Amino acid sequence: MELVYSERLERQNVGELPDRDLAIRARGGDMLCFETLVSRKTPPVVSLARRILGNTEDARDVAQMVFLRVWKEIHRYDERYSLNTWLYRIATNLAIDFLRSARSRERAHGATLHLVREREEATAGGATRTAEDRELARLFETVSDKLSEKQKAAFVLREMEDCETKDIAEILGCGESTVRNHLFNARRILRKEIARLYPEFLIGRTLA
Amino acid sequence: MSVICGILRESFGDYLADRLPAPQRRILREHLTACDGCRAAAAGKDASLVFARPFAEDASPDETAAILASVRTGVSHIETERRLAGAGPGRRRAAVAAAAAAVALLALTVAGGSARREPVAALPVALEATPLLESAGVEPAALPAEAAAASSNATVYDLNPGAGRDEPRVVWIVDRGLDI
Repeated sequence: MELVYSERLERQNVGELPDRDLAIRARGGDMLCFETLVSRKTPPVVSLARRILGNTEDARDVAQMVFLRVWKEIHRYDERYSLNTWLYRIATNLAIDFLRSARSRERAHGATLHLVREREEATAGGATRTAEDRELARLFETVSDKLSEKQKAAFVLREMEDCETKDIAEILGCGESTVRNHLFNARRILRKEIARLYPEFLIGRTLA
Repeated sequence: MSVICGILRESFGDYLADRLPAPQRRILREHLTACDGCRAAAAGKDASLVFARPFAEDASPDETAAILASVRTGVSHIETERRLAGAGPGRRRAAVAAAAAAVALLALTVAGGSARREPVAALPVALEATPLLESAGVEPAALPAEAAAASSNATVYDLNPGAGRDEPRVVWIVDRGLDI
């Protein structure tokens, strides 16, 4: 008997396609390819958003918005360019918008939100992140509070996502020299904040 | 401290100044994850280097599945909106034409014009001028109260076909082209 169609087999085959091919097929309206792309890119998008926003719940909301934006704008995807850069650009912009509105909300609600977040973070993402990652994430959340949205995004993209300067420039929609400037200032502020809040790091403390 | 530790510690300055090529930068970041001594030295050089390392990704398979389910719902919503808005000009025109036909019918009958004096069966003829009703694609006879016209997209039902000349005429327009 000949196997005419198997959804499982189809999913398996589609799952082996590279990002670019999935995006091209999704652009043609292939929902299975789009969903495969969403499944594949959710972890990095949530990670990026979480580092910029500082909490997992908001990062999940932003990730959903990112993929809905991708679906709406998929006709604009140009396969000559990196899908990741395009995706990160959407994710970073939405996270920055979200951060701006969250900061204004936080100013209104005071420090309570911060305490709630700390509790959320203690239980969230435990399955995939190591204790050391969680400790660093908490440290970053605390000391990055004084960074501007662009400085924070540039630092996260460079230091945590290991993006190239030219890619960060494209993601943030600015020049490479501006990115270097953001990074320089971000490091200066972070050094100062770590020295103020966690001086033990300056004398060479290593994480557990 | 190994030889590699010494070489990599000399590259901290280049790393900070964005002068390190990508492959070397990745080697350094991987090394900082594994080597306590170099991590401490890096933090001593510049505290922001404590973040210079690959991080694990955040979403578990369950979270990914939950996000995918929400995205599916969102996409379905977007597509429905697109169908309503986009397929649009034609269907919107049809809907507007149907509404216009209804208004015309009401106007004719409430005013007691000559068209109202015609038998109900003559309505499709009277409405033939409306593009919507050019073709009869539905069988109106199957429905008891309907007496009017039909097209491939919309049907106009007359809800009180036996109304007197001074009574208002009530029509019900069903546009099958609207996909709600």
